[in-house]
Amino acid sequence: MAGARVTVDHVSRAYGSTLVLDDVSFVVEPGEFVALTGPSGAGKTTLLQLIGSLDRPTKGRVLVDDVVVGDLAHPAGFRRATVGFVFQLHYLLSALSVLDNVELPMVAARVPHRERTQRALSLLEEVGLGDRAGARPSELSGGERQRVAIARALAGRPRLVLADEPAGALDTHNAANVWRLLGEVRDREGATVIVVTHDIGLAEQADRMIRLVDGRLAEPAQEISAQEGTS
Amino acid sequence: MSTLRHTVSNLRGRPARTFLTALGTALGIATIVALLAVVGGAQRSARAFVHLGPAEFGLFQRDAADPTTSILPTSLGESLDRTPGVAATAPMMLLIDRLPQASGAIVFGAEAGDFLARGLVFSSGRLYRADNEIVVGDGLAEKLHLALGRALKIGHLKLAVVGIYHTGIAYQDSGAFVPLATAQQISGRQGEATTIVVKLDATTRPAAAERTITRRFPGVTVVSDAQQAARSGVSEQLISQFGLVIVVLALVIGGIGVANTMLMAVIERRTEFALLSALGFSGRQIAGRVLLESVLTTVLGAAIGLLFGILGARLLVMAIGAQTFVTPYVSAWTLGRGLLVGVLLGVLGGIYPAWRAAHVTPAAVLAQH
Repeated sequence: MAGARVTVDHVSRAYGSTLVLDDVSFVVEPGEFVALTGPSGAGKTTLLQLIGSLDRPTKGRVLVDDVVVGDLAHPAGFRRATVGFVFQLHYLLSALSVLDNVELPMVAARVPHRERTQRALSLLEEVGLGDRAGARPSELSGGERQRVAIARALAGRPRLVLADEPAGALDTHNAANVWRLLGEVRDREGATVIVVTHDIGLAEQADRMIRLVDGRLAEPAQEISAQEGTS
Repeated sequence: MSTLRHTVSNLRGRPARTFLTALGTALGIATIVALLAVVGGAQRSARAFVHLGPAEFGLFQRDAADPTTSILPTSLGESLDRTPGVAATAPMMLLIDRLPQASGAIVFGAEAGDFLARGLVFSSGRLYRADNEIVVGDGLAEKLHLALGRALKIGHLKLAVVGIYHTGIAYQDSGAFVPLATAQQISGRQGEATTIVVKLDATTRPAAAERTITRRFPGVTVVSDAQQAARSGVSEQLISQFGLVIVVLALVIGGIGVANTMLMAVIERRTEFALLSALGFSGRQIAGRVLLESVLTTVLGAAIGLLFGILGARLLVMAIGAQTFVTPYVSAWTLGRGLLVGVLLGVLGGIYPAWRAAHVTPAAVLAQH
């Protein structure tokens, strides 16, 4: 399965009088692993939400393959079919088991029960949590929860994985582990992966870095900056 | 199936909220079931009352506030006797609340020679022959420790117990019969009766006789079944309408309660619904989950409410002192209506919270964290 091509075309996003993104344009090729970096408040999360159809641009457009995501009448259907999200806070539902949490995107897609369970168990095996399927999220460590969240993001076989600071709340070891898993997603599934991160060390492991500063795309010369390593 | 499983898991994961929401519903359902059970019991009693002895129907004063407050001249019986198809008539005076020792006991005034009094079966003693004599049901005798020869005060008169009967009908066995003249003296209504019960010829159809009597005697209401008994009294209608108002109020208040609790749950769980939306759940799917949760909670409440209602009906009857002649009657339809109301509460109370949940904006909510 090929990854999705993402085109950000002169996109701006304002909240009231505050301009969060200002005329941002770039293209992410199918199967590419891109790190989106920049200081806090640079608009990274907003950009990720626009790409994932969680929000609409004020100006410009975002295309995923040929779909203008801001024009979608039913964006949930697009997300269900195309996108897998990983958030900094894992957002696992505490009332459900680990297995149930991973199954959620497939429940939305009305995947049959048996197939759903098999895939969720397989994904949990891949992230090293095959023996914790029946556990509650509260019984897991922070790193384990984020691995469950990655398994959940992959459950719907997305062609585009969007991760917002997935390692932001983790220690170095777990952060590296999460990053490795996301790399494997691209390598194994062929999905396009866009990851927001502050960590320049991790970002350097991506195919490419895109840096935002004050809502604008930084000059190419600024794309890799040692300043990022300290944030 | 998985939606149901996830919903049950969600409810079990928040036991206190689930229980309190269910309890709110339970109280509303209990009120409805208790009222329906009491009304059902009263109708069954009325049915027995209308068919007192071998009578086909009873005549009451038209537009009386209540069948028990009906007043008819006993002379009407003589005119009725001449009506084609009528085999016999018996004027009867009902005395309510005249026995302070036995609240709710009914005293029936009937002439000794009428088919009503003659139909009594005595376990000891005999039917009254004089105006200062009384016969009591075995239930009343046991309750008041009455034996033959003992005196019993009804109103301002002291009467001698000369017989103890058993009919198998609770409100008759827990009451007493006195001569009609005695009942008239106690109530101060000489020459009057509460009702005139009518026995028809074997060949006469009740409907035809009812039409004839209604035509000949426009001032009376013919009551031949319990539903009619309920309709014939203004008070009964008021009680009936009051019951309906209570049911509607229970629905409205219960619905608002459920809506309020579910809305609080939705607001508290905005992140969860935002996440579901981000994961690809449509607004309709999210709303469906909230509605299902609401309905499951209220059905649970309805089940508890049915139990409370059955117990509450007995307490209600005791509280109004009507246990002598009203036994709460809980039919399958009463329980069905309780459950139906539970589902309705769940749907009505869940609609707005479901709408709110379906319209959570994932970007705004997830960005807050």
